[in-house]
Amino acid sequence: MNSSHQTFAEKASRLATEAAVRATPEPLAKRVRGFSDRAIAWLFIAPTIALLLAINIFPLFWAIYLSFTNYRANRPNAEVRNIGLSNYSRILNDPDIWASMQTTAHFVFWTILLQTVIGFGLAYLIDRKFRGHAFWTTLILIPMMLSPAVVGNFWRFLYEPQIGLFAYAVSFLTGIPTSDIQMLGSVQLAPWAIVIVDTWMWTPYVMLICLAGLRSIPDYIYEAAEVDRASPWRQFWSITVPMALPFIMLAVLFRGIENFKMFDMVNLLTGGGPGSTTEVASIALKRDAFEAWATGRSSAFAIVLFVAVFGLANIYVKALNRVKQR
Amino acid sequence: MADVILKGITKSFGDKRAVDAVDLHIHDGEFVVLLGPTGAGKTTTLRLIAGLETPDAGTLHIGGRPMQGLAPASRDVAFVFQQYSLYPHLTVYENLAFPLRSPARRMDAATIDARVRQVAKMVRIDHKLENRSTRLSGGEMQRVAIGRALVRRPSIYLMDEPLSSLDAKLRAELRLELKRIQKELGATLLYVTHDQIEAMTMADRIGILSEGRLVQIGTPREIYTDPANLHVAARLGQPHINILPVGLLPGAEAPAGTAKVGARTEHIAIARQDGGNARVDWIEHLGDQNHLHIKVGEHRLVTLADPDMPVAPGDGISVALRNPLYFGQDGNRLDGRRLA
Repeated sequence: MNSSHQTFAEKASRLATEAAVRATPEPLAKRVRGFSDRAIAWLFIAPTIALLLAINIFPLFWAIYLSFTNYRANRPNAEVRNIGLSNYSRILNDPDIWASMQTTAHFVFWTILLQTVIGFGLAYLIDRKFRGHAFWTTLILIPMMLSPAVVGNFWRFLYEPQIGLFAYAVSFLTGIPTSDIQMLGSVQLAPWAIVIVDTWMWTPYVMLICLAGLRSIPDYIYEAAEVDRASPWRQFWSITVPMALPFIMLAVLFRGIENFKMFDMVNLLTGGGPGSTTEVASIALKRDAFEAWATGRSSAFAIVLFVAVFGLANIYVKALNRVKQR
Repeated sequence: MADVILKGITKSFGDKRAVDAVDLHIHDGEFVVLLGPTGAGKTTTLRLIAGLETPDAGTLHIGGRPMQGLAPASRDVAFVFQQYSLYPHLTVYENLAFPLRSPARRMDAATIDARVRQVAKMVRIDHKLENRSTRLSGGEMQRVAIGRALVRRPSIYLMDEPLSSLDAKLRAELRLELKRIQKELGATLLYVTHDQIEAMTMADRIGILSEGRLVQIGTPREIYTDPANLHVAARLGQPHINILPVGLLPGAEAPAGTAKVGARTEHIAIARQDGGNARVDWIEHLGDQNHLHIKVGEHRLVTLADPDMPVAPGDGISVALRNPLYFGQDGNRLDGRRLA
C-alpha cells in the first residue's frame, strides 16, 4: 500500500511538471534568433531612451555648448566663435538680470508664504469632517484643474479697471474709484496682481498635500494628548504641525520649483510690465533669447538658473529628509 | 487615587448596544480587569470613563465627583492605548514629561525632571531617555506609553490591552512589572484584556463582559471556581472547560433541571482501565504535562494528565466526574456558590 502511494505521488508530480512546462512560454530569445534576453530588453527600452536623449539630454548639453559661444539663432550663417566665459561674466555683472532674479525671489517668497498659510488653514478646516466637506473639497480644487492660459486670460478680464469684477468689488468695499485700481497697469499693484492669481490657482494644490498630511495623523494621538490635558493650542503645535511638517515642506518644494520658473501666467497677465516691474527671470530669459536673439548669452542664463534651482532644491531635500527621519 | 463608581452606564453606536447598563464600583487602590472577547464593550467602557465617549445613560463618579459633561482633561484619568500612542517627533524624555508640562499643573522643571527619571527607571527605559520615540522596539514603545501614564498621579489609570501587541516573553515580563508597580504606587487601575492569564495573574477582581453586559465580577478565584454561567466558565481555564450532557459520566448527582455539566481538569478523575467507559483519542505532549483528548461515546473531552501516565491513543480508560459544575437550560449555574 505504501509503495503504491509513492508511485501515485510520483506520477502526479511528473504530470504537474509536464503541464507546467507546456504552460510556460519558451524564452523569447529562443524564438527570436540571434538575440539574447538582455539584447531584447535593451530593444524595448531603446525608444524611450532615444526620446529622452533627443528632447532632454541633448538640448541640455547643446545649451551648455552654446553658452560658451556668440551664437545667434537669427543669424545662422554667421561665424560661431568660442568666447569662453564671457557670456557668464556678462550675466553675473548685468544689473537687469540681477533685478529679474530679485523679482523672482520676491514672487516665490510671497506666493509660497500665502499658499502655505491659506492652504494649510483650508486643509485644517476641511479635516474637521463637517457636513458636506467632500463637496467643499471638490469646489476648492477647481482652480487647480484649469489651464494656466485660461486662468491668465480670465483674470485679465477680472482685473480690467473699467469692466472687471475685481476692480468693481474692491471699489465697492473700499470706496476707491475703479480707475485707480489698475491692477496690471500700476507699478505698485502689478506684482501683487500676479501673486493673487498664482495663489488663487495653486493654494488648492498645497491644501491637498497638507490634507494628506493631516489625515495621516492617527486619532488616538490626539486622544492621548487630550487625556494628558494638552490644550487645543498645544495639541496643534506639538502634534499637528510637527507631524504634518514633512508634507508642508514637500508642498513648498513643489511650489517653489514651479514658481521659480514661472512663465505662462506672468507672460499672459503683464508680459513682464509695466516697465520691468514683473520681469521675473524666465521672462527676462525669453526676451534675451527670442527678442534680442542673444542665443549664446541666454543659454548661459538658462544654465545659471538651472544650477540655482537644482542647488536650492538639493539643499532643501536634505532638510526635508532630516525632518522626515525624526 | 479614588473610588470610581459606574451606575447603569449605557452606550450605543447606531443599532449596536456596545455597553449595556453596566454597574461597577472600583475601590481605591484596586486592580480591576475587564475580560471579554472582541466586541464585548471593554474598550468602550474605558473610553466612557475617560470621557472620550459620552454615555447615553447612567452616571459616573470619580472620587465622589460626578463626571457628566466633563472633558477628558478635567477628569483626572490616565489612559494607555492599545496602539503605541507616542508623540513620534519627541524623545522618550519629552514623551514622559509631556503630561506634566500641561500649564494646568504648574509643575516646576526640577520636579518634572525628578518624576520623569523615577518613572523611566520604574518601566526600565531610563537608558534610552534621549532616543527618539520612533527609534524604539515595540516593547520599549509600550513601556514609554505606560510610563507616560505613570508620571501622573491620576484618580485612576485606564489601560486598554497595553500588552497585546507584544511578544509572549515580553508580555510575561511586563505583566509582572505592571503588577509590581501598581502595588508600589497603590494605584487604582482598570485594565482591559482578552487574555485570561493577564486577568488571572494581575487582577484583584475580574469583571467578565459579554455583549456589553457585566456578567460577573469577583476575585480571580471566585470567577474561576464559581462561574455564574456557561459564558463565564468558558472564559477561564486551560484547557477549556468541557461541556457535557447530563448522565454521560458517572460520579455526580446532577440537581434537578440540569441541562449541561461543566467539567474542568480538576473535575475529572481518570484511570487507565481496559474496557473502561472511554477511549484515549489523542495525546498532545506539552512537556511538563499532557493534553489528553478522550472520547466517551460520541463526545470528546480534553483534560490534563501527568506526562508519565502510561497511556497511548486507542487505550481504554475510565473517566468519572468529581464535583463538577451544573448549568440549567438558560446557561446559568444551578448548584449554589461554593465560596463566600
